[in-house]
Amino acid sequence: MQPPTFSADPTSAVVADASAVINITASSYAIQILNAMPNRFIVTDIVVSELESGSSKGRKNAEQLHQLIGGDLVEVVTMGDEAAIHFEKLVVGSARNTLDDGEAATIACALEIGGIPLIDERKARRICDQRFPNLSYGCTVDIFAHPEVRRALGDADLSTAVLNALRKARMRVLPHHLNWVVNLIGPENAAGCNSLPRTVRMQESGAVLRIRD
Amino acid sequence: MSTLESLSPADVGGRLRRVRDIANFTQQEAADKIGIARTTLVAIEKGQRRIRINELQRLAKLYGVSVNALIRNEAVHVELAPRFRKLPDAVDAAADYAVELMSRLANAEVELENLLGIKRAKNYPPERPILRGNVKAQAEHDALDLRQHLGLGNAPIRDIVTLLEMEMGVRVYVRRVDSRISGLFAFDDELGPCILLNANHTRERRAQSAAHECGHLVSTRSEPEVLYKDAVQKSREERYANAFGRVFLTPSRPVMQKFQEVTAGSDKLTRRHVIELAHFFAVSREAMVRRLEELNLTKQGTWDWFQANGGITKHHVKQVLGDRAVVADGQKVDAARPTTLRLNILADEAYRQDLLTEGQLARLLDLDRIELRELLDDLEIEGKEADAAPNLLC
Repeated sequence: MQPPTFSADPTSAVVADASAVINITASSYAIQILNAMPNRFIVTDIVVSELESGSSKGRKNAEQLHQLIGGDLVEVVTMGDEAAIHFEKLVVGSARNTLDDGEAATIACALEIGGIPLIDERKARRICDQRFPNLSYGCTVDIFAHPEVRRALGDADLSTAVLNALRKARMRVLPHHLNWVVNLIGPENAAGCNSLPRTVRMQESGAVLRIRD
Repeated sequence: MSTLESLSPADVGGRLRRVRDIANFTQQEAADKIGIARTTLVAIEKGQRRIRINELQRLAKLYGVSVNALIRNEAVHVELAPRFRKLPDAVDAAADYAVELMSRLANAEVELENLLGIKRAKNYPPERPILRGNVKAQAEHDALDLRQHLGLGNAPIRDIVTLLEMEMGVRVYVRRVDSRISGLFAFDDELGPCILLNANHTRERRAQSAAHECGHLVSTRSEPEVLYKDAVQKSREERYANAFGRVFLTPSRPVMQKFQEVTAGSDKLTRRHVIELAHFFAVSREAMVRRLEELNLTKQGTWDWFQANGGITKHHVKQVLGDRAVVADGQKVDAARPTTLRLNILADEAYRQDLLTEGQLARLLDLDRIELRELLDDLEIEGKEADAAPNLLC
């Protein structure tokens, strides 16, 4: 089974929201992964603030992100005028049709700079499809599945990285990536990951869901 | 797609003022911090001038909220904290935290209910303002009246929290706050009545606090309250609420009847009698003895005598009640979760229906992303495509 390819040209920037940052830092291989990625890796200042407000609850994501920024592996950008227009339209309105600031800023920045946002969130992907049909987006797993990342880490460490993201950050895996993830980490490990859908975990553990007649 | 242009400036201004109030900034302070003139902020809050997105971002950051949380249509920003700050006795930092916590939980709950189209039943008890004359007599009358209204008869109230929630539509939050605080009460037209009880206290003490707050709900509904554990209750309102609470949980006739039954004609009040009675009425041993004193079923000073003679200890309780001594305290267990069980369930449903993103929910519930993910995973509710259960709804 071939892993999904990250449909990006190495010159275009990847713009990560808080979810992607948390997943990648939880892998414990963030430095190796970002070094291997040919693309610029960007977060907006709004996402940095969002993660910093999580620090008080003992999560180390902001600290780790600052280390990556300090090591020039991640760039921080502020929204320009064009991004601000997109941002406004993504945060103003009804709950069903809006996103939180970090999610909105990530998409807005990507639109402004011609980058590729990483969106793990189902609703955000729906909104992107509806409003920005020409915007190409990815998700965190696309980063793990990038051929350069796989080459740099090797299968064993890549498996560990993905497993860490699943266990420590409860990373969400979209349906089209499930097979790849399960094949990488193995069925036994998949069975223990609560953030994977129950049907995947139950199948992999050999349990069968029966409904009494 | 909407922009700020499509929103009513008065509505936006009103929200900004409410959120500024909750965040406890003056107009001058807020204006200075974001680098605009106070008159500009005044005009914005009055709806006379449209705010710009960059100004909104700076204000949202200052107030500790996201732009989306501040501005989305269904957002609820009821300002409970400012009402508590207006109380005659200064509200300390611990109470401030408890008020902010209750406010946040209630606002989140209402927003989620609105989004999910859930209408909460409002069976508030009839209001009984305190009249001139004997406060204790009024409280007793009103408490018995409410018991009758709820169809309780002579039965003890084993779970006052569920009674308040299910029968009266009160939002009750049992969370861990500073031990000096027994409870909070506030009423708002949009949120309804809200009570916070301290998960660090025993179940019995929480029941007493809840009954006290119920007294406020009946008599002084529009006044918020912080109930301190060791407060000396002097005002008429507090004496009413205390008396109400006592009668609501331990009404005279049922207590006298049970007393007769438990003591079985004995001429001495023993530890066993106190333990059995307290257990039956689900109140603390001290509350039970003081109630017996009040009803002249035992001499004044009986509790003091017990205290001076070894007390009535947990060991005594275990000896008398055996396995009955262990009463599961589910609310205390739930209080250890990062948010309330009800909010867990509402959030999960909102997430499944794609009404709110992970980012929006994390902010609404004041959780970080991983906590939120754990909460959603641990409820083990899967999407339709993964769940073999048929649609059972009519």
